[in-house]
Amino acid sequence: MSTPEHILVVEDEANIAGFITTILKTNGYDVLRADNGKQALMCITSYCPDAVILDLGLPDMDGQQVIRTVREWSPVPIIVVSARTHERDKVTALDGGADDYMTKPFSAGELLARLRTALRHARGREGGAETPQGSFRCGALTLDYAKRRVSLNGENIHLTQIEYRIIELLSRFSGRVLTYDYIIKQVWGPNAAFDNQILRVNMANIRRKIEANPAAPRYISTEVGVGYMMAEGE
Amino acid sequence: MTEPGRRAARTLRDLGLTAGMLAAAAGLCFLLGQVDHVAHSDAYVSMLFILAVFLTARFTSGYAWGIGAALVSVLLVNFFFTYPYFAFNFLLPGYPITVACMLAVSLLTSAMTTRIKQVEQLRGEAAREKMRGNLLRAVSHDFRTPLTAIMGANSTLAESSAQLTPEERARLHRNIAEDAQWLLRMVENLLTVTRIREETGGGVEKTPQLPEEVVAEAVDKFHRHYPEREVTVSVPETAELCPMDPMLVEQVLLNLMENAVIHGGAVRRIALTVSAAADEMRFCVEDDGGGVSREQLRHFFEDRAPAGTGDGRRNMGIGLSVCQAIVAAHGGRMWAEHAQGGGLAVSFALPMKGEEA
Repeated sequence: MSTPEHILVVEDEANIAGFITTILKTNGYDVLRADNGKQALMCITSYCPDAVILDLGLPDMDGQQVIRTVREWSPVPIIVVSARTHERDKVTALDGGADDYMTKPFSAGELLARLRTALRHARGREGGAETPQGSFRCGALTLDYAKRRVSLNGENIHLTQIEYRIIELLSRFSGRVLTYDYIIKQVWGPNAAFDNQILRVNMANIRRKIEANPAAPRYISTEVGVGYMMAEGE
Repeated sequence: MTEPGRRAARTLRDLGLTAGMLAAAAGLCFLLGQVDHVAHSDAYVSMLFILAVFLTARFTSGYAWGIGAALVSVLLVNFFFTYPYFAFNFLLPGYPITVACMLAVSLLTSAMTTRIKQVEQLRGEAAREKMRGNLLRAVSHDFRTPLTAIMGANSTLAESSAQLTPEERARLHRNIAEDAQWLLRMVENLLTVTRIREETGGGVEKTPQLPEEVVAEAVDKFHRHYPEREVTVSVPETAELCPMDPMLVEQVLLNLMENAVIHGGAVRRIALTVSAAADEMRFCVEDDGGGVSREQLRHFFEDRAPAGTGDGRRNMGIGLSVCQAIVAAHGGRMWAEHAQGGGLAVSFALPMKGEEA
């Protein structure tokens, strides 16, 4: 790596900010610190960090507000780190534009892994890879975008239109949790107004076609109450 | 159901009850009048109506229904069952006394009923308060041990690091991590308990969920703590939605799996099975450990290891109580039995229907 990547850590608890800073520094990142929302917004504007690690419980404003404000003008990856465990908070943060959501407490390894994923996704976006390349591979599962074909161990899997669109969407954002709402809007259109039951039933069918054991999924995992995530492709 | 909806339903029920009582009393009086045409004693008329008023006041809420029933009774008796029949005559001797008696019965009964309900409510609150107290005591006691260990290990590392061998240092670090993990699991359990109370006042917020998704996440979390244990999972062939609070059910599954590892005695394999019955979804966590005696099985869910008895912090008191509270809040049931291989099988079932738990 030529120049170290700049990470902004927004956290008002000195101990936790200190521990995150130490992990990041020892792993070759450059760290900026902000203790509150105002300072965070200022740092993002003036220093353009490569990624932001954001705590939701800030003294001056809600972290959710910070996410929405930043998203008005910047695609910088935001990883939320929060003590709030309720699905509602996760869904709000992800729908607001956060890239990832970690619940406190978390391990150093987990933080670094998520940060690497977020940075890689951001680089992918810059490289213009938003439109999918030819195919997606993960283990024995392959998606051929041009032919709209899904195969497992080389064998063709028969999916319905809707099932294919769900799996394609998840594969494009592999490694990222997509919320139920987001998936429904992308697959059924922005005016789709129904609860997520239809999506869940579709997902159950997909799982029965591509997973050996639907209760121990290898490819598409569930974040209960939040959404779905496709395992990282190769 | 919404609050106004509930109130409307209660009003409707009370109205039906009142009308039904009065109609029954009147009908009975007519029938009896037909049977003993000759004697024509009116003694039972007042008695039956007083009984109707009493029952109405007892089983409806508030005073209004009882008083209404009393007044209507007075009019009914006057119109149908006293001379002149099928006409009102308010100048009968003793008439004011009948009215007064009816009203008094209704008022006194309503007052008594209200009192009974209040006492029941107070008793419920006292029981909850006691449970909360017990929980707090158990928690404080359980927390002190790992905290002591963490602080001790940390101060040893801080003050006499130079005298320790690398192995000793590694062991102390490992101990700190283990105890912190244990504390975290406890806190997570306590958080789920607040989730039951806070949001719905005793019930839970149910949404239709796929059991396989909840199970998958629970097993995933379990594997983060115990990567070396094998868990086999099986779910129904067809995907069936079951109403539940997924985070709470996940916590139950996690607790049962952790209990199996911590208390099961040489557990290598855990089998988690979900099966759909006619009106309930069943979850079973089975281990291949040493199992429990028949005596232990009988007292499995009873208050175990209250605060103060025994120093072992790894009792399953909190974890299992939390499981029971969650299953009960779902309107489900929970039971334990001997597993086929000699281990223990703990199961719980959640009702498939019934938004109102």
